[in-house]
Amino acid sequence: MRVEEVKVPLREVRRTIKEFYDPNVWHFITVNGTDLGGKVELKWFFCKYGEKETFKVVTAEAGYDDEIPTITYLIPSAWIAEWELADLFDLKVEGAKKGLFLDPDSPKAPLRRG
Amino acid sequence: MGKRITVPFGSQHVALPEPVRFVFQTENERIVDVEVDVGYVHRGIEKACSTRFKYMQVGYVVARVCGLCAISHTLGYVTAIERLMEVEVPKRALYLRVLVSELDRIHSHLLAMGHTAEVAGYENLFMQTFRYRESVMELLELITGNRVQFDYVCPGGVNRDMTTELEKEIRKKLKELEEKCLWLKDVFENDFSLNLRWKGVGVVTKEMAKEMNVVGPPARAAGLETDVRAEFNYLPFEEVGFKLITRRGGDIYDRNLVRAEEVINSIEMVKNVLDGLPEGEIKVPVKGLPEGETFVRVEAPRGELFYYIKGTKKMVLDRVRIRVPTFANIPVMKKLFIGMDYSDVPATVISFDPCLSCTAR
Repeated sequence: MRVEEVKVPLREVRRTIKEFYDPNVWHFITVNGTDLGGKVELKWFFCKYGEKETFKVVTAEAGYDDEIPTITYLIPSAWIAEWELADLFDLKVEGAKKGLFLDPDSPKAPLRRG
Repeated sequence: MGKRITVPFGSQHVALPEPVRFVFQTENERIVDVEVDVGYVHRGIEKACSTRFKYMQVGYVVARVCGLCAISHTLGYVTAIERLMEVEVPKRALYLRVLVSELDRIHSHLLAMGHTAEVAGYENLFMQTFRYRESVMELLELITGNRVQFDYVCPGGVNRDMTTELEKEIRKKLKELEEKCLWLKDVFENDFSLNLRWKGVGVVTKEMAKEMNVVGPPARAAGLETDVRAEFNYLPFEEVGFKLITRRGGDIYDRNLVRAEEVINSIEMVKNVLDGLPEGEIKVPVKGLPEGETFVRVEAPRGELFYYIKGTKKMVLDRVRIRVPTFANIPVMKKLFIGMDYSDVPATVISFDPCLSCTAR
């Protein structure tokens, strides 16, 4: 498996993805969050069409109160993964609405630790 | 401009017995805006997998994400664990995994095809398709011990071996099934009414498929050559005759034909697995604790399934992330509805074969 991981500050995420992302070459899989306690590690996963196990992962860390930049300007389908982050981690994602995955009476931010 | 009317589709709808809700804004019959709600039954499975269950139990938990593609979820998780812990799975077990995985694909595709026939008003084709599907369910029960949610795959291999009697029964049933599926493909391809109803409806172009990162049969029906079985080495598909099937139309008609052709290819693969099934063990022990992170892609019947796991040398993993195919296809469905006639909505939704059990895992 070939994985190129790029670690960037949160504010650089959109620019980093813009530099390499071409919808004819790269398939956007999803963005994943993992709670590290006080902050969340975010990973945007991409794989190359037609190539075996070739991935690019953009990694950044976000504090609970940081605003996460949306990448829907570049990848319109990313909104659903971003809205999920907003619901399950109670993060502020630019342009994301809350309530798509959780009802108003659900536990808040279920994937946060502690 | 006509009067704007709000038309809800779901969360309970006769065409789609799954808890998804679309709220359409229509002008006359044309859709001008849509909102979607997928959060009716969020079950917190990711949370449970990283708090309550030990890593050796998680495979049995994620099998409950979805009854229809249970093997895909377990395969995704188990492959991730095996990669993280550097477990070498016996070749016989890998072949048996292909066998069950492809039988699972056959029954899931037949279910999707049957449902699209039903929403086209073709009740007898719907019943006939489900009747044929039943023989696959019986085979799965014989092999795994259960019709759905079978815990066949486990870390290190599979839980049940193949016997000579079982192999004979599978071959007999497959022969009958192949003839029936060829007939079904012929009907889905050449029936006059279905052609009229489905051709040119709900079209996803190749450009749209790339732009919206569409996965599974809807992507391949649009001409996008993507199939995880060709892009990720999780099972020996190429050794058993896997073919990447694509079409160009991108409409409901082509989505069904991609499924019909994949069913035929899957039957071929199952036969090849039986012909070339290696001798040996079906399972190796898995010892130790998972440390580090990894991710895998698996081609579930509905498309790309993604698993990410992270462990810190504890019995319970830090993170289990599941990205299911329906989750990936909802954005394109939403985009597709704009400008569509409301009467085409049920068939279009069903042609994506959505699974909300997976989406609200």
